[in-house]
Amino acid sequence: MVLENLSIGYNAVLASEINARVHPGEVIAVLGPSGIGKTTLVRTIAGLVEPIDGDVELKVEKRGGLGYIPQKLGLVRHASVYHNVNLGARASLPVLKGESEERKKRVNSALVALGIEEKTTEPVRRLSGGQLRRVATARALAQRPSLLLADEFLSELDHNTVDVVIAAVKELLDAGTSIIMVEHHEENVALLATRVWLIEGERLLDFSIEEWKEKGPAFDGFWRR
Amino acid sequence: MRKSFIFVILSLLILAWITLNDLVDDWGRFEGGWENLTAFVSESMWPPNWSVIEAQSYPVCEKDIEFFCSVGYLGMIETLKIAFVSTILGFIGALCLSSFAARNLMPMYVAMPFRLILSATRSLPSLIWAIIFVIVIGFGPLAGVLAMTFYTVGYLGKLQYETFEGMPSDALEVSKAMGLSHTTTFTSVVIPETGNHLLSQLMFMFEYNVRHGTVIGIVGAGGIGYYINTYMKFLQYDKVLALLIIIFVVVVVIDLMSLVVRSFVTDEGDVRRPTWLKAMIKLYRSRNSSSE
Repeated sequence: MVLENLSIGYNAVLASEINARVHPGEVIAVLGPSGIGKTTLVRTIAGLVEPIDGDVELKVEKRGGLGYIPQKLGLVRHASVYHNVNLGARASLPVLKGESEERKKRVNSALVALGIEEKTTEPVRRLSGGQLRRVATARALAQRPSLLLADEFLSELDHNTVDVVIAAVKELLDAGTSIIMVEHHEENVALLATRVWLIEGERLLDFSIEEWKEKGPAFDGFWRR
Repeated sequence: MRKSFIFVILSLLILAWITLNDLVDDWGRFEGGWENLTAFVSESMWPPNWSVIEAQSYPVCEKDIEFFCSVGYLGMIETLKIAFVSTILGFIGALCLSSFAARNLMPMYVAMPFRLILSATRSLPSLIWAIIFVIVIGFGPLAGVLAMTFYTVGYLGKLQYETFEGMPSDALEVSKAMGLSHTTTFTSVVIPETGNHLLSQLMFMFEYNVRHGTVIGIVGAGGIGYYINTYMKFLQYDKVLALLIIIFVVVVVIDLMSLVVRSFVTDEGDVRRPTWLKAMIKLYRSRNSSSE
């Protein structure tokens, strides 16, 4: 994925002249204080917000190539856990093309990986916050996208759930998925990220994880603000 | 917030009052109105004439229970049948059109023509549709079914696309980002998310069509309205009142059915609440134990 001279925002520009690339298997942590434009950047990449200027070049399949876990998770509340996870599988393996066995296999293994196989028939609206995040991650796992956009999907989780979700995410990385995740917790950045994008003012600063470990503390007070 | 809310409500009331005052030429029309109404009800309507639930003199009743040969039963059943078929057909037709008319599911240049079609169907009241179909295919329930189906498509279509537009956007955004097709998004995301509202609208429309069955029956499109019209012609308002009471009971029953059906798709069904039955059993048990 290539971002070229990208300017993002709604009415006013939040960040401009963004030039960056994501290579297969990379995990990018997007950092910055609240309201700086992290979510807008992710939504622009997802094609949900038109860029003010510049281009987003996605080299992924149009159907099912892009996965997205928004802050509110975007689950179908009045449908079952299985239905929600199956939507991920249906994105990359459309019903019209058959392959129902493969879809079932993907959904079941995603449910097992996230430890929610006993909740299969439960309506999503009855689940707790942590379980909801597991379902959203299972949906992405069943989809196996080339690029996953995740907006604060590890926040407000207990340690046990974080471990389960991260194990599932690592499974995705092994399958060659790249991830762009908006994150607030340094320990989660350290666990997964290979690069860090820091939005500072109207600019996007791109660090490798090694550079970030070295220079990050200098921005510490800034990105936590 | 509270002050501004009260201010808005008061302003709207004043605006409505000014408009009404402009419409009414003479407030003196109210004079003697109540007396007229009470005289009409007590002399012509009250008490309701329940002969409408007794067997008609012709054709001869061949059933064991007379009620099943009565005007009230036969008319109501025909109205219910007309309302049922037209609600189902109209609901499906409306779903097809409204999925293309919602602006969050389709771009404006696609949504606009579908909205126009729905507006056109809705702008003719069901009574006018009934007259059209009575002219086209003659008197009888089929004209009623077609009239109500067309009206249902226009009416439900608008309610449906407005419901779709009001649903939370996050699940739709995920579907769009994932590249799900319009059909999959509609059937697997939009319908489950708005199921409660769709069912409520479906039940409301069924109830509406039952009530309107009385109106379209007047122009010869079948149902209980046909009998109401006949009794009104012969000034038998006591029989009309009895039929109206039957319609009221049926509408209440449909409302209760709606409550039960919707409980399957709302959070309400998940919450355990005290019920009248359980409270009464508890009371009964506590009395029994105290008497022992």
